[in-house]
Amino acid sequence: MSYVDAGYAVALASLCVYALALALRRRRWEHALKAVRTEVPPPATAADDPAGPASGARL
Amino acid sequence: MSTHSEELGTSPRWLTVVGLLGLVALGFTVWLGLWITPPDQVQGNLARLLYIHPPIATVALYWAGGVALAGSLLYLWPRTRSFFWDRLAASAVEVGAVFAALTCVTGSIWGRPAWGAWWTWDARLTSSALLFILEVGYLALRRVPADPHLRARRSAIAALLIALDVPIVHFSVDWWQTLHQGGTVLDPGFNLHVHGSMAWTFLLGFIAFSLLFVWLLGVRYRIEALQDQLCDRELEVSLSDRWREGTELAGVGAAGPTEPDGGAA
Repeated sequence: MSYVDAGYAVALASLCVYALALALRRRRWEHALKAVRTEVPPPATAADDPAGPASGARL
Repeated sequence: MSTHSEELGTSPRWLTVVGLLGLVALGFTVWLGLWITPPDQVQGNLARLLYIHPPIATVALYWAGGVALAGSLLYLWPRTRSFFWDRLAASAVEVGAVFAALTCVTGSIWGRPAWGAWWTWDARLTSSALLFILEVGYLALRRVPADPHLRARRSAIAALLIALDVPIVHFSVDWWQTLHQGGTVLDPGFNLHVHGSMAWTFLLGFIAFSLLFVWLLGVRYRIEALQDQLCDRELEVSLSDRWREGTELAGVGAAGPTEPDGGAA
């Protein structure tokens, strides 16, 4: 294998691996977010209890 | 000040189109670079590596560095402060680190037959390696647990340090007369060094890697936004659980204490 072939192979393979890793990471986070949204009931809102914290309240 | 829960700023459809265009352009660049363009008069076939090395370096230095700098400045500026800019800068730094590493590797593969050495402490090479190290440091700093605002501010300041290295890399070949040659495509007077099919292949290479950078940046940004959304959601659930526990305890307290044998106190 020549230096030219090696250079192209390393560059293209690295970009492919990184792109694939990003796509997999995105899918994993999408699934995780979907799981949290579906498995856990929504938090209490002001409509449920006027004295309760508002939805999305932050510390 | 916006929160983590803001809407995702990426559009998957246009991003997919950009990614596909980048892939097609990259395919044409490889085809033209390896099989169509003629060998260089001085370097022979080795010059074919230069159809990918300068475009990769351009993305690492100017596109990624520029987006990271702009995002960090816009986050630090109180009137434009938003987690959108923080995420964008972080995404640009990560993608930039990959391109910076590839810049060093492809340059090294070209340098071995051209200079007779895989590596030399040349000003351009050293400052490029420093860029990669600074970007890795930024990513490490970002993983240190902290309040989101504090993390974003720290990261923005670290990105400014990275940005300081960008002009050093750019002007290193003018400031120090070391081994690395000057501009490959354009000289300081913006005169073209390459012509004909070689120039078109160069141009296509720049377009291909720039489109790929936009696609990678978009995907990476979406991951960052998903992480923040999940973090917000988990916080909401925790607060809700604690609130529910509190109301249940209050309900027990209102009913009054009960004797172990069942009698009321």
